[in-house]
Amino acid sequence: MSESVIRSKQAQREVNGIPTEVVCTEFSNYIFVVLTQYGKIGTLISVTPDSRSNDLSTPTFSTKVLLGKDEPLTHVCAKNLAMFVSQESGNRPVLLGLALKDSSIDAIKQIKEMIKSCQVW
Amino acid sequence: MQNGAEFEGISVHNFSEKILEQVVHFHVMKLSGGFFLWVGSAPVLSNLAVSMSSKYDSMPLSTLVMGDPSNTAPNSLAQRLAKKTKKQVFVSYSLPMTDTSLSLLVENRIKKELELHAEHF
Repeated sequence: MSESVIRSKQAQREVNGIPTEVVCTEFSNYIFVVLTQYGKIGTLISVTPDSRSNDLSTPTFSTKVLLGKDEPLTHVCAKNLAMFVSQESGNRPVLLGLALKDSSIDAIKQIKEMIKSCQVW
Repeated sequence: MQNGAEFEGISVHNFSEKILEQVVHFHVMKLSGGFFLWVGSAPVLSNLAVSMSSKYDSMPLSTLVMGDPSNTAPNSLAQRLAKKTKKQVFVSYSLPMTDTSLSLLVENRIKKELELHAEHF
């Protein structure tokens, strides 16, 4: 069968003893990132770069929980994990599926490294 | 898979089909208890619907989490696939919704894949 128009990469490893999976999929208008320790998409969050007023200011991002529990920590984790993906992919918005058992700073750091190993943008 | 039966990872499956003179691409991400399906001719993520069965209704519940609410195609496809598979189904449908004969053929192609390659869903 012909090659797909959709590119995706995935990684799997233990983060602090918990099996963790990352799948990154590239769309022309979105990067879809699934980060899961449950095998499920979990909470769906969109991370969108705000239109910049000038190039000198540091870019800001809006996060919106599309599906699942809307709590402050979700927004913090989502921004921390997805901002660099958006910046590196030419300011594309990121659709993030987040289902973590461990949201410690240490775990987030390790998961971020996993995302970097799944660069599709 | 390293951890065998205990940890069945996410898997990705792509296929394409020429339907009514148009190449339609399909991208399936198998998750625990469900799957994500993207359908389109160009790599755009323009909407997302989620559907799952409920014990209170014979028809699965469905909601659109992203995209234009006037486009009912992703919702209804997600709902019918959730009913057929008894799973949680995420659907992104990026084909012209005006073409009902196309959407019917697309749905039949998905059902064929479900029958031939159930392990990918």
